[in-house]
Amino acid sequence: MRDFEFAGLIPECCSEVLDAMYFTTVLETGPQKTGPEGAPSIDALVAFSLRFVGDLSGRFGIFLELATARKLAANFLGEEESGISSVEAGEVAGELANMFCGSVMSRVEGEHKFVLSHPEGASVPSSDLGGDFLWRLATDSGDITVWMTIEEDLCRP
Amino acid sequence: MAFNILIVDDSPAMRRVLRRVVDISGMDVGTLLEAGNGREALALLHTEWVDLIMTDINMPDMDGEQLLLEVRKDPMLATVPVLVVSTDRSEARTKQMMTLGANGYLSKPFLPSALSREIYKLLGGGPNERF
Repeated sequence: MRDFEFAGLIPECCSEVLDAMYFTTVLETGPQKTGPEGAPSIDALVAFSLRFVGDLSGRFGIFLELATARKLAANFLGEEESGISSVEAGEVAGELANMFCGSVMSRVEGEHKFVLSHPEGASVPSSDLGGDFLWRLATDSGDITVWMTIEEDLCRP
Repeated sequence: MAFNILIVDDSPAMRRVLRRVVDISGMDVGTLLEAGNGREALALLHTEWVDLIMTDINMPDMDGEQLLLEVRKDPMLATVPVLVVSTDRSEARTKQMMTLGANGYLSKPFLPSALSREIYKLLGGGPNERF
């Protein structure tokens, strides 16, 4: 799959997940700027990533501020934001990463099976701020950054 | 008559959402059981009566595919309806799980109403008669 196809696919799939299960609307999307001006603050960030294996293999991750994770968790669980713990916010963010990745890979793989690993919490190391694709989703619950690194892209007939 | 439902998913958050949807579906539910993977689910299924299994696919230790195989080859469990709830929407995976004996397949993300419909479809005829 070419870069420009992912550029359209990632925000489309993520918007669908956020709309259906997190009752959150994506207001604006675009490539995440990198460097001192564009990089998000790493204070209080929640980060999760998982590995995908199929015809296309690699790693997929998200990071977002804790306040955003709490809002999303409240929407997802149908509970008051004030009652959401950091652990619960993290669990919901992990599931968000899982659903984002599953949604994208289902579209990419089509008729081919793929396997996703369990989402793992990450400490937002600088390496996680890179990736082949780094995408910012501005939502009405706050910003979410999505990244994806592809290890191999086998040609299919 | 109340139905007993087993929710199998490695995500505690997703188990809570599934439980909530079942709660508000209006279905007469007896016991809602939870397991974090296929192995935990099998252990519960050998001690608890269940009318419906809702399972994820990608889980550590024992995944949903293996759980489905184990359920279908066990004479005591073989007729329990299994609804797969997974992020994997690929045609290949859906076909595979249905061929292995799943009774329904719902991909995430889903609307609560879609899950309710699937539950009613699988349990609508009355509690599972295994014996």
